[in-house]
Amino acid sequence: MRASGARIPPRACDVQALRAELSRRIEADDLDLPILPDVAARVLSICQDPDGDPQRLAELIQRDPALAANTLRIANSAAYAAAEPIVSLSQAIARLGLSTMGDIAIGAAMNAKVFVVPGREGEMLELRRHAAATGIWTRELARHRRRNVEAAFLSGLMHDVGKPILLQAVIDLADGAEVDETILHTWIDELHAQVGARLLESWNLPPWVAAAVAGHHAPERAGAHRELAATVLLGDLFAHATDDPTGEHEQKLRQHIVLGELGIYPDDLVQLLARKTAIQASAQSFA
Amino acid sequence: MNPVPETFDVVIIGGGPAGHKAAVQAAKAGQRTLLIEREARIGGECVHRGTIPSKTLRESAVYFSGLRRRAAHIAKDALGKQVLVQSLMQRLDKVEHAQESFLEDQLVRNGIEVRQGHARFVSDHELEIATANGNKQVVRAEIILIATGSRPRAPADIEIDHDRVLDSDSILSLIYLPQSLVVLGAGVIACEFATIFLSLGVQVTMIDKAPRPLGFLDPELAERFVLRFERDGGKFIGSTSHTRVTSEPLGGVEVTLADGQVLRAERALVALGRTASVASLNLSAAGLALNERGFIGIDASGRTSVPHILAAGDVIGPPGLATSSMEQGRRAIRHALGLDLGVAAPVLPVGIYTIPEIASVGLTEAEAIKRYGRAVVGRARFDEIARGHINGETDGLLKLVCDERGRKIVGAHVIGEGATELIHLAQLAIVTGLEADAFVDNVFNFPTLAEAYRVAALDVVGRRARLQATA
Repeated sequence: MRASGARIPPRACDVQALRAELSRRIEADDLDLPILPDVAARVLSICQDPDGDPQRLAELIQRDPALAANTLRIANSAAYAAAEPIVSLSQAIARLGLSTMGDIAIGAAMNAKVFVVPGREGEMLELRRHAAATGIWTRELARHRRRNVEAAFLSGLMHDVGKPILLQAVIDLADGAEVDETILHTWIDELHAQVGARLLESWNLPPWVAAAVAGHHAPERAGAHRELAATVLLGDLFAHATDDPTGEHEQKLRQHIVLGELGIYPDDLVQLLARKTAIQASAQSFA
Repeated sequence: MNPVPETFDVVIIGGGPAGHKAAVQAAKAGQRTLLIEREARIGGECVHRGTIPSKTLRESAVYFSGLRRRAAHIAKDALGKQVLVQSLMQRLDKVEHAQESFLEDQLVRNGIEVRQGHARFVSDHELEIATANGNKQVVRAEIILIATGSRPRAPADIEIDHDRVLDSDSILSLIYLPQSLVVLGAGVIACEFATIFLSLGVQVTMIDKAPRPLGFLDPELAERFVLRFERDGGKFIGSTSHTRVTSEPLGGVEVTLADGQVLRAERALVALGRTASVASLNLSAAGLALNERGFIGIDASGRTSVPHILAAGDVIGPPGLATSSMEQGRRAIRHALGLDLGVAAPVLPVGIYTIPEIASVGLTEAEAIKRYGRAVVGRARFDEIARGHINGETDGLLKLVCDERGRKIVGAHVIGEGATELIHLAQLAIVTGLEADAFVDNVFNFPTLAEAYRVAALDVVGRRARLQATA
């Protein structure tokens, strides 16, 4: 992914000009957005089709050797551990089911094609892990609230998809000049929901996914999808809280206003947090 | 925690139909009233998870059902594959918002204090309110009304994953319309969802341990319901139960029945009753316990075993209708405050929003025979009514149940679109003691389904004459 158009002069990194150019490109829809990996689009299509053919899914994943290897790795990870190792995609699909395989394949495709910024591998790994954890927590929260879980995982998985795009865009625009990391991440925090939603719209993903991603820091902006956006926000908070040994994020989670919005009380938190270890293991395998 | 509890005259727990009406009644009587609601929004299951959302989906289903009856060639392609359920509930947000605003305005107008939190009895007069962020305070009240509602029952032998195996809450947040659905249960909620999804083109199988659905209903209507359900492509399997419900890895659900039969469907809906939402109330601290049916027991005045603690709505058990809940809440408060109760509604209508609708008021034929020794029953089939033909609703039926002399109307039972509106005429006839002849003597608009009353009344008059002739 590369930002297109005029570049900021090298080594004269004017922070204000850089920010202005970034905003202009976002407003003008002029960011170079990655296309949805073809394989991911087809996997989604098969998994959402009531007549989805498991054999077709296996063949599709098989065509992308990296994806096939990743999918098998995740299917054999602790999160999905089976008595016998899974050695083929057909076996994986039969054992884990179309829906889980869909989640695994989408996650693997995203990891390979979107969460990639050269030179920032550590940060990207962290983002991938957090995306997977948020997806899983969002699904568990939906289940806990007796809501259908179909939309939850994908929305949670995608919630920060704008971050690698912005990161790459700023690196490209700066053209080698150094950008202060604090400033860079302030921009990313501020803009990633908007950019992520735009990306998902360009991929023609279901509208609720883009709406939930756009509103995952401000659910009131998600309109009819406010509840899903609030669930993603809470999934995001759970993912941070359970990955933070200092307890600072858990404190933030316990004080967050979204708990009231979703009717999640301290006794619910105890029940949900009891699943922490299993969910972390799943997230680890996804990343 | 407050060292001195804040004091109110009346505290209501739960902001659904029963709690809301009770709070308004208490405030109108000059009581300092607090309403505690666990969720962020007022309205309870009725507005946010049950009645309003399911009826919004039903409107689309009725549209497609009507289209199928009136123009089958168009209906065939009207709903394609992978239909977004949300696209069939486009107006839900507006409907919910309007209803919620109306309810909130009433609370504000009447000076009712509302706090979001989770209420827990500390004693029979004191409640601890915990916020979602864990802050706690204790409030004290002279009168407390429990209206915490109910939730879908989760049988221990079925794992409801809200993915492939759903309950009546999670089915409303489905993304895509499934191609097939097995409904476990045949009560009101089960039948409503079964017919809604059937009308939307889903292949529906309903199973229940009873031989016919809607066991409390006049058997003739229940039989018609099954006939229509099966004619529309549904399948009802009665007198059986599940032995196993499992999600299949390659998608779908497998339901094994007691006779070994295995049903496979894309989704399963578990609608095997509801349970009182009382888990976190700490009832024992107030000296309360659930009755043998798992609900809070009350006397005729809405009082629990602790007289200043009242209960109303779903939490006291069936019928669990919004209308009856509101009335229970209002009357319980009036009684507790020593206010004039007025005349209690002698009969309450039952409205079932299946497709077609079913409604009932007063005695069934069997109940009337038991009470009067005999009943004279008039029938009007909708294929005898011009409006029935115009609407394509020819398999509806109205039954008018009269006393042993064939005069006084004591019950009415209707199946057919418009039944929940039609039934109110019979309700008023029963309340005002009208005789069947009133429907013969008075003239209704033509063509309307209300004409069915005249046809049924004429049937009663004819039967009465024959009885008199043979007497």
